[in-house]
Amino acid sequence: MSISNPLPLALVPGNSFIHNVSPGPKMILVVGYVILAFSTQNIIILYSMAAIAFIFAIWAGILRTFLKGLLILLPIGSSLLALQILAPAVEKPWTAAAELGPVTLYIDGLYYGFVLLGRIFASLAIALVMLMTTHPSDMFTTFTKLRVPYTLNFMQAMTLQLIPVFQREVGIILSAQKSRGMKGSGFSAVLPSFIPVFVGAIERVQQLSISLESRGFGSTGHKTSYRKVKGKWSDTAIAVCSIVIMATLAVMSIMRGSWNLSDQITFSANFVLGLFLLVAGTFLTIVTITIAFMFRK
Amino acid sequence: MSNPIIQFDDVSFSYAGTDSFALQSVSLEIKEGEYVAILGLNGAGKTTLGLCVNGIVPTMLGGNLTGKVTVGGLDVSEYPVRELAKLVGIVFDNPEFQMSQMSAAEEVALGLEHAGVPHEAMHEIVSDSLAMVGLAGFEARSPLGLSGGQQQRLAIAAVLAMKPRILIMDEPTSNLDPIGKQEVFDMAAKLNGEQGMTVIVIEHEVEVMARYADRVIVMDGGRVVMNGTPQEIFSRVDELAALKLRVPEAVALAKQLEARGVWKGDFPVRTETAVDRVNAMLKA
Ligand SMILES: Nc1ncnc2c1ncn2[C@@H]1O[C@H](COP(=O)(O)OP(=O)(O)OP(=O)(O)O)[C@@H](O)[C@H]1O
Ligand SMILES: [Mg+2]
Repeated sequence: MSISNPLPLALVPGNSFIHNVSPGPKMILVVGYVILAFSTQNIIILYSMAAIAFIFAIWAGILRTFLKGLLILLPIGSSLLALQILAPAVEKPWTAAAELGPVTLYIDGLYYGFVLLGRIFASLAIALVMLMTTHPSDMFTTFTKLRVPYTLNFMQAMTLQLIPVFQREVGIILSAQKSRGMKGSGFSAVLPSFIPVFVGAIERVQQLSISLESRGFGSTGHKTSYRKVKGKWSDTAIAVCSIVIMATLAVMSIMRGSWNLSDQITFSANFVLGLFLLVAGTFLTIVTITIAFMFRK
Repeated sequence: MSNPIIQFDDVSFSYAGTDSFALQSVSLEIKEGEYVAILGLNGAGKTTLGLCVNGIVPTMLGGNLTGKVTVGGLDVSEYPVRELAKLVGIVFDNPEFQMSQMSAAEEVALGLEHAGVPHEAMHEIVSDSLAMVGLAGFEARSPLGLSGGQQQRLAIAAVLAMKPRILIMDEPTSNLDPIGKQEVFDMAAKLNGEQGMTVIVIEHEVEVMARYADRVIVMDGGRVVMNGTPQEIFSRVDELAALKLRVPEAVALAKQLEARGVWKGDFPVRTETAVDRVNAMLKA
C-alpha cells in the first residue's frame, strides 16, 4: 500500500526549484511573511503575498495538496467575514448596507475583515508551501544549526514523520472494519477507528523509540547528515531579496500607520449583501455537513 | 573467538510497576563469534534478555535489576544505550514499527548520522548495507511502501550499517514467508561465518535453529533452564515436551522409532542426518 494521500502537512516529494531551495531561506520567508502580514493593513500587499505563495505552490507542483491544506480557511474565513459584516470591529457610527430581517449588515467592518483574513491566508499559504516542499530531516538539520533545543526539534521531526504512518493505519483499520461489515466511510466510521489507532500508536511509539535508541539516536555528540543541505548562491539571493523587500514594505506600513487603505477602498451596499449571503451560506453548509456526518447512521 | 563478549552474572529483573520477575537469576556467557539461539514460550523473558544486552533494560525500560550484565567489558547499567549501540545491533519482529524515515537510504543512515560518521563516507556504507541484505538499488524507496520481508531486511541493514560486533534478532522472521525466512537466516549465518559477528536469534523455528546455531538456550519463567549445543538440547525430548516446546521433526521421528526399538544411539537434529541414518538402516 502506498501513501497516495498524504495529509496536507508533510512533504510532497518532488524535485522542483522550490523543493531545492534550502530550508534556511524558506524559514526566513515564512517568518518574514508573518511579520509583514501583522505589521500592515494594506490588503493589496496581503493578497499579493498570498498570490505569490500560490505561484510557489504551482511552481512546485503541489497545488492539489496545497489547496487541501487551505480548505481550513473556508470555515475560518467565512465566519470571520460574516462577523465583521454583522458587528464591525471599528468605532461607530456604522454605515448600514442592508436590512436582512432582524439583522443589519454594515459596510464599515468589511475592510478590516479582509485584513484579518489576508493575514491568516498569506501566513498559512507560505507555511504550507514550506512544509510541503521541505524534507523533514533537512528542516531538522537546519533547526539544529539554529540551536533550537534538541527535544523540541526532535518532537516536531517525529510528528511530521508519524503523520503518513498514522494516515496509513487509519486506512488499514477502516478497511478492516469494512470487511467486518462496519461502515467504512464518513465521520461515524472514522471516529471508532481512532481508538485502535491510538492504542496502536502508543505501542508503535514505544517500539520506535526503542529502535531509534538502539541505533544511537539521541546522542549529544556531533551529528552528521546523510542529506547534504547545500548552500547555493540562489539561496543567499532568495534570502537577501526576501529580507529587503519585506523589510521595506513593513517599514513603509509602520510609517504610514499600518497603511490602512479603507478610505480609498470602499464597498458598495450590494457587494456587502452579496458577500454576506455567500459567506453565511458557506458557513452554514459546512456546519450542516459536519453535523450530518457525525449523526449519519 | 574465545573471550566472553556477553556475560550475565546472576541477573534478575522486574519491570517497573510489576512484582513478577521477567528474568530470574540468569547466569550465562556468550563468546565472541558464537551463534546462539534462544527458545522459550511467550513471556519466558527472551525479549527482556535481549534488551539487557544493549542496555534498553534497565536504562530506558526501567525496573529493578540485580546482578551484572557485561557486554564487551562494559557494565550495561553504567553506559547510555547510544554507547552500547556501537557494539550491539538489535532488530525486532515488527519491522514496520521500526521505520521512521522517508527513504530506505535515510533509514539506514540514521544510526550513522547520530554516530557522527562523515557525510562523504555515508553513501558507501548505506549502499553496502543495503546490498548485504539484498536491497541494492532500493535507496530512494519509501520504507512504508516495502513488503514485510523487505522491511525486515531494511531494519537489519539499518543495524548492520553500524557495524556492530553483536547482532540480536528478536523473532525476525515472524512476518516472513518461507523464502524470506531463509534469506534472513542465510544472511545471519554469513555474517557469523565470514565476519565472526556474534549472533543471537530469538526464534520458535527449531529446525532452523538446529541447523545454524552453535548453542541453544531455553528459557522458562525468566530462568535459563537449558543451555547447550543443539544436539544436547534437542535430545532432551521429554524435558522440552514438559516445557511445551517442539523438537525438530527429525528428533521426533527418531524418538518414535526408538520407542519401537528401531532407533539406536544419538538423535539426529538435522533432517539430512536422519535421512542418512534411516537410509543406512534400510540397507542393513
Ligand atoms: N515493558 C514491559 N513492562 C512490564 N512488563 C513487561 C514489559 N515487557 C515485558 N514484560 C513482562 O515480562 C515478562 C517477560 O516478557 P518478554 O517480553 O521478555 O517475554 P518473551 O519471552 O520475549 O515473550 P514473547 O515470546 O511473547 O515475545 C512477561 O511476563 C511480560 O509480561
Ligand atoms: Mg519477545
